[in-house]
Amino acid sequence: MTADTYYLPQGNEVDIFQRAAKNHLPVLIKGPTGCGKTRFVHHMAGILGRNIHTVACHDDLTATDLVGRHLIGAEGTYWQDGPLTRAVREGAICYLDEVVEARKDTTVVLHPLSDYRRVLPIERTGELVEAHEDFMLVISYNPGYQNIMKGLKPSTRQRFVGLSFNYPNAEQETAIIQKETGITQVVAERLVKLGHDLRRLKDHGLEESASTRLLIYTAMMINDGLSEKEACLSCLAEPLTDDAQTLTAIRRLIEAHFGCRK
Amino acid sequence: MEELAGRFWHHFVTRQTCSDHTAASVDLAGLLQPLTLYYRALGGSPARQIAPADPRRMNIERTLAQRIAGTHGKLMLSWQDEQGVYLPPTIACFPKRELNEALYFWLAALSSRLPVVKHWVADNLQASAVLLHRYPGLVTIYRKLVDATITMETSTYHVNISEFDCKPELIELLQNPEDSNPGLTIANDHPVPVPLWFYPPPTREASVGVDDDPDSDQTMTRKVFRLPNIRKKASRVDDRKETDGLLVFQLESLFSWTEHVQLDRCQEENLDEDITSAAKDLDIITLSRQRKASGAKINFDLDLPSPQNDDLPVGDGIKLPEWNYKKQELVSDFCLLQPMLSDTSTPCALPEHLQHLAQRLIPHFSALQLTRRWHKRQPVGDDIDLDGWLDSVCEPVQSPERHTCYKAKTAQARDLACLLLADLSLSTDTLVSDGQRVIEVIRDTLLLFSEAMNHTKDRLAIYGFSSVKNKHIRYHLLKNFPEPYSDDTRGRIMAVRPGYYTRLGAAIRQSCNVLNQQGSEQRLLLIISDGKPNDIDQYEGRYGIEDTRHAVIEARQQGIIPFCITIDSDANTYLPYLFGHNGYAVVQDASRLPLLLPQLYLQLTTTNHHS
Repeated sequence: MTADTYYLPQGNEVDIFQRAAKNHLPVLIKGPTGCGKTRFVHHMAGILGRNIHTVACHDDLTATDLVGRHLIGAEGTYWQDGPLTRAVREGAICYLDEVVEARKDTTVVLHPLSDYRRVLPIERTGELVEAHEDFMLVISYNPGYQNIMKGLKPSTRQRFVGLSFNYPNAEQETAIIQKETGITQVVAERLVKLGHDLRRLKDHGLEESASTRLLIYTAMMINDGLSEKEACLSCLAEPLTDDAQTLTAIRRLIEAHFGCRK
Repeated sequence: MEELAGRFWHHFVTRQTCSDHTAASVDLAGLLQPLTLYYRALGGSPARQIAPADPRRMNIERTLAQRIAGTHGKLMLSWQDEQGVYLPPTIACFPKRELNEALYFWLAALSSRLPVVKHWVADNLQASAVLLHRYPGLVTIYRKLVDATITMETSTYHVNISEFDCKPELIELLQNPEDSNPGLTIANDHPVPVPLWFYPPPTREASVGVDDDPDSDQTMTRKVFRLPNIRKKASRVDDRKETDGLLVFQLESLFSWTEHVQLDRCQEENLDEDITSAAKDLDIITLSRQRKASGAKINFDLDLPSPQNDDLPVGDGIKLPEWNYKKQELVSDFCLLQPMLSDTSTPCALPEHLQHLAQRLIPHFSALQLTRRWHKRQPVGDDIDLDGWLDSVCEPVQSPERHTCYKAKTAQARDLACLLLADLSLSTDTLVSDGQRVIEVIRDTLLLFSEAMNHTKDRLAIYGFSSVKNKHIRYHLLKNFPEPYSDDTRGRIMAVRPGYYTRLGAAIRQSCNVLNQQGSEQRLLLIISDGKPNDIDQYEGRYGIEDTRHAVIEARQQGIIPFCITIDSDANTYLPYLFGHNGYAVVQDASRLPLLLPQLYLQLTTTNHHS
């Protein structure tokens, strides 16, 4: 990753992250979808000049998938490092996205890496890999999803420096949309206001609120010549809900912001 | 013949004064959900509900024709207070359906910016100006609505504003809400009904509370009447003085009268028969402070039984806090919760009509004992475990044992405690579709669920609750965690009776305390309810909702997962605010609840839906 991955800090998260990196502490990032968690990690990787290995977690992810496995080559079997081991050896950032999706016993493999020991025991080969000076562990998840069987073990959680993310405030979000898409300030401001209104519907008609990412997609479509109303309908209303009544309300809301049917 | 002539005359004469555009009429009921969402998106308070308003007497001069026709004495005005936003049940004043619908959305938008209206001109203008400034897209539709309002014909519940003296100023103000000096030229005391605006609440809230203690009386099952979808004004009078009753003085000295006549009508007969239509006809429903009176026939008959006939109270009660949203603070020790144990129940077996259902459910729950997941390095299994195979190949010394290179799906124990909390308030005494009462459905649900849960390793406790004000919250123990499920438990469940009110917040807090003693990894609080939280003190409307919401938030903070199952079809308007989008389920057909709850439980607690 390069240092020019655009990211607009919302608070002192950059500073906290840098201090965590300096002190070899792992970081946990939580926040709703599309608020800039992944972008932030990539941005920080750029600043720190480290590589980043991303793992999208799912419920069939095993410790083997993280640590590595034996494979068969032309000359018999050989050991292949997993993304975690690679990051540990070369001193990169290992980023586990949506870590709650992984089973709890899988995440236990992170424990020896996330405390003072900073080692990764590889059971299969009997190797004990000491983490490179620059190795850093970052995990993220969205606390909004409600499944009672999922969640981080408290013993896992308590090994991390926590950063809570949310959607940026109106001015910052306007700046982000403009920077990302090159759209005019007036339109960006209106989009942000619309997004702000839609976020009030979280838990009332919408499972997830309109993310900064969705607003950026909308702005991209508008910038490409699609009418504002159509762009909002297809990039904001439709992805957010399937419910006809909720769509009616959102359509009215879009009309309130971007003019109504002639 | 007389009736026919009368009807004909009525049609004829009202047609002279009203022109409803019935073809273009729009009903509030059909738009309620989008309107509510729209209102909230624009920043309206989530605790306020949108509800239909009631026609309201207006002090306006009527034309001769209107007076002959007897119309326009009451008009449909939109208004709002702390609890809700009240919009006309139907709008048919504009010729185009599109405009009538747009008017609803305009009203919803306006209410999100309005405080409780004090000055009918200034407040509305200011809010309109703010709204139009913030939402430029609304300008076009606002102009259309204003044009339509100016040219509007008088309909049943709306009057053309040209009939009023202040018409030119009003039109000017409507057309330019942004740059008008807030209507100081127009007095506040004679509001002109403008369909686009909100008006002050009809009367002050009744501030006199109900204060007679519910005296002991046998509980009677009475019919509960529901008014069809309209909002009535209420006032409460102080009729406690025993000397009150008849006015004994010269009638000439009477200055005016209201519809409240202080007559003791306890003995009036046949009130039951037409009580709903009587309620509909009244503008203001006056509530007596004494609930023994005839008014009790509507709903207030929730007296506590005498100690001899009541369940056994356990201990001296538990003090619990309550959230007061007005003060924004958690008032400690505000509620007294009394655990109760039925001592008259007789142990019994599962009723016959539930037995075959239980047989159908049990296999599902037996399988639930353990969660299934992939286990690697098995000697036998459904799939090849590549890692296991590679390892056994790489092994320098080949073991003589069989290769363990399969993966198999096997079960693993889980650690879950579930507390089922059932609403036993009097509202569960009402009938559901097929002649069953809600309480019977709840009883069946509890029995069937505990029967099914008995075949899992998940721990289950069942409690029921009801309340009479904050000092008497009845918390019925039906089954606690350590107790095995037995005939005694069933007997206690069979003995539950509906009564009193729903102070949900306190019941949730106590249930959390019980759950927390379990120390399980997962703690689930399932709530069965049939309506909004309410009680006879201030615990109704927004207060009850805010307290319950706070209790739910506290539960989440303690790591408990609250989930609400309701049979209230209106629940979509308030449950999301209480339990969050994923925290509740509405059961449309209440009679299916006994089967749906176990299914829901399986769905909630199984990790792999596909397995």
